[in-house]
Amino acid sequence: MPKLIIDDIPVEVPDGTTVLEAAQSVDIPIPHFCWHPALGKAGACRVCAVKLLDGPVKGVQMSCMLPAMDGMVVSTTDDEAVAMRKSVIEWLMINHPHDCPVCDEGGECQLQDFTIAGGHGIRRYDGRKRTYRNQYLGEFIEHEMNRCIQCYRCTRFYQEYAGGTDFGAMGRAAIVYFGRQDDGPLESPFSGNLVDICPTGVFTDKTARFRARYWDYDMAPSVCPHCSLGCNTVPMARYRELLKTTARRNDSVNGWFICDKGRFSNAGVNAPERPRQALVGGKPVSLAEALDALATLLGEFLELHGPESLAIVGSPRMDLAGNIMAARLREMLGAGTLCLFNETDRAELTGKAVSLLTTENSSSQEDMRNADLIALEGCDLLDEAPMMALAVRQAWRSGARVYMVGTQNEIQSAMAPPFTKGGPGGILQQDQTANPPQSPLGPRGSFVKGGHNREATALPFAFEQVASLADVPLAEAKRPVIICGASRTGLESIGEILSDSTASFDKGGLQPALKLAFILDGPNAFGCAELARRHHGVALSTALADGRIKGIISFEADLSHDLPQGITVLGAADWRPTGLMTRAGVVLPTTTWVEQEGIFVNNEGRAQRFKKVMNPGLPIKGLTPELHPPRVHGIDAPGGDVAPSARLIAMLMQRLGETMAVEPLSGPWETLKDLDATGAGVMIHKGEQE
Amino acid sequence: MNTSDLLIARFHGAATMDSTILFKHNRPGRAVTFDEYLANGGFKALRKALAGMSPNDVQQAVIDSGLRGRGGAGFPTGRKWSFVPRNLPGPRYLICNSDEMEPGTYKDRVLLEHNPHLLVEGMALTSFALGVERAFIFIRRGYEQAALNLRNAIAEAHKAGFLGNAICGSGFCLELDVHLSAGRYICGEETALMNALEGIRANPRAKPPFPAVKGLWGQPTVVNNVETLANIPAIIANGPTWFKALAATPEGSGTKLFCVSGHVRDPICLELPIGTPLGEIIDTHCGGMRPGSSFKACIPGGASTPYFTKEHWAVAMDFDPVAKAGSRLGTGGVVVFDQTTCMVAATLNLVRFFARESCGWCTPCREGLPFVRHTLERIEAGRGEASDIDILKEHVHKLNYAFCALAPGAMGPVEGLLRLFEDEVREHITGGKCPLGKH
Repeated sequence: MPKLIIDDIPVEVPDGTTVLEAAQSVDIPIPHFCWHPALGKAGACRVCAVKLLDGPVKGVQMSCMLPAMDGMVVSTTDDEAVAMRKSVIEWLMINHPHDCPVCDEGGECQLQDFTIAGGHGIRRYDGRKRTYRNQYLGEFIEHEMNRCIQCYRCTRFYQEYAGGTDFGAMGRAAIVYFGRQDDGPLESPFSGNLVDICPTGVFTDKTARFRARYWDYDMAPSVCPHCSLGCNTVPMARYRELLKTTARRNDSVNGWFICDKGRFSNAGVNAPERPRQALVGGKPVSLAEALDALATLLGEFLELHGPESLAIVGSPRMDLAGNIMAARLREMLGAGTLCLFNETDRAELTGKAVSLLTTENSSSQEDMRNADLIALEGCDLLDEAPMMALAVRQAWRSGARVYMVGTQNEIQSAMAPPFTKGGPGGILQQDQTANPPQSPLGPRGSFVKGGHNREATALPFAFEQVASLADVPLAEAKRPVIICGASRTGLESIGEILSDSTASFDKGGLQPALKLAFILDGPNAFGCAELARRHHGVALSTALADGRIKGIISFEADLSHDLPQGITVLGAADWRPTGLMTRAGVVLPTTTWVEQEGIFVNNEGRAQRFKKVMNPGLPIKGLTPELHPPRVHGIDAPGGDVAPSARLIAMLMQRLGETMAVEPLSGPWETLKDLDATGAGVMIHKGEQE
Repeated sequence: MNTSDLLIARFHGAATMDSTILFKHNRPGRAVTFDEYLANGGFKALRKALAGMSPNDVQQAVIDSGLRGRGGAGFPTGRKWSFVPRNLPGPRYLICNSDEMEPGTYKDRVLLEHNPHLLVEGMALTSFALGVERAFIFIRRGYEQAALNLRNAIAEAHKAGFLGNAICGSGFCLELDVHLSAGRYICGEETALMNALEGIRANPRAKPPFPAVKGLWGQPTVVNNVETLANIPAIIANGPTWFKALAATPEGSGTKLFCVSGHVRDPICLELPIGTPLGEIIDTHCGGMRPGSSFKACIPGGASTPYFTKEHWAVAMDFDPVAKAGSRLGTGGVVVFDQTTCMVAATLNLVRFFARESCGWCTPCREGLPFVRHTLERIEAGRGEASDIDILKEHVHKLNYAFCALAPGAMGPVEGLLRLFEDEVREHITGGKCPLGKH
């Protein structure tokens, strides 16, 4: 634990901390461009110069390169250090275009901030500026090389951190170029992170260019709903339109990055065809009227068929409160069935996977990044949980051995690309048909059109193929992790290993350090499995099998289109247009994850709160002249008469005679009431709330 | 300059045949053959070491000899070797840096075109001392003849049992590879060289860790210059004391290749006792200045070293005396300028090279050098202002904080220009044109 003094403030930091980080730990900001916590030191930009006045090292030094040492006396304000930092800005400004007013990065640009902070204003260099040709990098990322300050963050992320091969540094001296060999879409499924890590405006989010300045955005901490990993995000919206999504740091989960699927799947929120209008028998009504109608319908149904004929359907893509309320509704009605999963298999396997996990053995993405051995069993990482592939790569880069269990065929399909991106001229399309009905979000914002390059989207790490999990030398590892899809064979072999290990651990065999990760289906699949266990939920297909169920009310569930015709869909609540809506007596439009507060429990059992980012309603962009500017002023924005499923259920329960105020996060869930949206999250493994 | 001219190695005055090491075997106009080298005592040192010396003995002899790195930095070779940890598992590597791209320097080329066997033997001895079983020669792209010589020499050494398995019947094994560089000045920087050899972008690496601990493919690695390694056989064959005594001064050690170019009568590469005075090199060994030329200044040790003028005529050309006189011995590449040379133009020419050859990694080098180039261009074209001198001075200071030694080296001649020829620079500015009429 070296002790040093920075600007007269004594600091004690762990071994290996750089002077830059030590300064940050006491809130002394030191400008930096090339240094990034996830990418480490590069020493390229030289803007983090400080002066060491005393101690083992003296003189002007780069604080990002220098490990903190005992006895150092550091000054960030020394004239020589300030002059050096000023020079770096002057050098960078020799070629940087003065296009801040028309640059999409303006207002959130590190270069802009440090240039202004350093006071650079007078140009001494009277030569020409260097210019580059920009490349077409696909439909998601805009390239503007003239703005580049050669911090090498992009190539360090793309090649080293993410294992991409089609983008990198070219050229030398003052004409270094960051791009591809030829124009074309970036192939890495993590390419969108270039937008986040570029300290200036070389890479900007093409899907949201010129729509807002940083201070215009509605922003809040959020959680990605597009797979079960629960990566932390900051969605950014303006004028009721979700414009873009950026990564939010959570060291336990996604670290600093997110995948492209999570970043560029914003269109569904803004889609004009999205349900925004309550309907009764196909006629537009207010949400309150729709709930009245549903209460009446429900009353008639219960009288006619009895409560045991009703199924309340929740979903792994609905937040925890919504699913809790679905369970409460069933309790209140006395009988009926609670269905949080559609398919029997899915319900059973998810439940089994969740039952194998404990707070101790559940592997976070951080555990994966730090693992020394990883076994992959029955999973398609790039499709089902892309950020896990990135986490495994970090372990592999640090020397971890990676094993893939399965036959050659299985492994080849596991290496298939996660999604294909548009080729030149291709556009982002929502492909309804390409998605399996059990998909948590239905259309995943697939990027169709144009071919794909299997090799380019191969897993970003090398692995050894083994026939079965038993062939993986787990016992040789200190920090082994098994990653498994929620498949029958995978769960069975893990069950065997766990029972073996309990036995062999007693004989000094397998370490207790073994960690498990399951890839589940949906952002709240863990939460649903836990609720299903507590409330004896069954899968809808199981419930329908015995013919007892005559009617359902569904909340954000992707039900199969071939739901038997004899089943009455009393009500369907969703923000996504599903096939079920056309059959529903009452349609209740709900809010999306960015329009409400909620909790998702991710694949490891980590409950994470997401906050409301924006008000619901039709995006102002695209409104007809009759609607904008508004001439009739109502309480809600056009299309804004929607509510979270949990609230809809609560209001329905009141109409059905519930007199108490219903608080979802009560009883066993009370501990989640104060869950901090900016924290690491809370583990909710079974028994911990009981 | 024609290559065949350079190949006529000549030995003058103090440097007799007995006291040369590197050029001892040379034949006029061609490379010495393997048989000739062998007949003239070649591989005697390797045999001697393998028969009766331990790796530590070899390293100790090199430490005792006082040999300093001939690539430019002058770091004591034996000490560099001693940084390699003895007990780390896994392979360790030796790399011969033959990426000779310092303007004004061509000594390694002459050496390799004359006698590649000396380097092979030197690398075998060094590998023995360091426990290396795989060594690489990283050679400049343009040095095709030298690379060909080396490949032939390696094949012959293999055949004769001086490379490969169980060398000279001992347990020592060594494989030598020649790698032709893709060609950039930065590849001469040892860590950028290792990146290039690994097949990745030739940017320098951060130090620490130093190559001796974590180098090529993460393994302990020693990088030595051609001339440095070529000195090892003589040290082992004749002993460190003998080697030390070759120098012109008691403080020095061994001989040095000087490659002289510019306005002298006989531009030549020659082996002289290290510490031979500058004036003696020019007057005695290069036939003085060209007819009609008088000495104005010279670069003493390759393009990145500050100038010497007539006042430095008597400086002993060895690492410490040259450093004391405000410059660096560098590679021993002496470029001589006469009275017609505009020092601003000469400096600009050098800075243009460095600005082009920056690898582009760090800001001071990538952006600062073009700024210096631009400023010198303005001055030389008569458009300079008094404040331009401040800009140059600032850069001389601040480019020291670049990532590697390229930018500080590039500022060597600029620093020399401002220290020794500030009046000439000011004349450009006040007169609005180059006083020597170069523009």
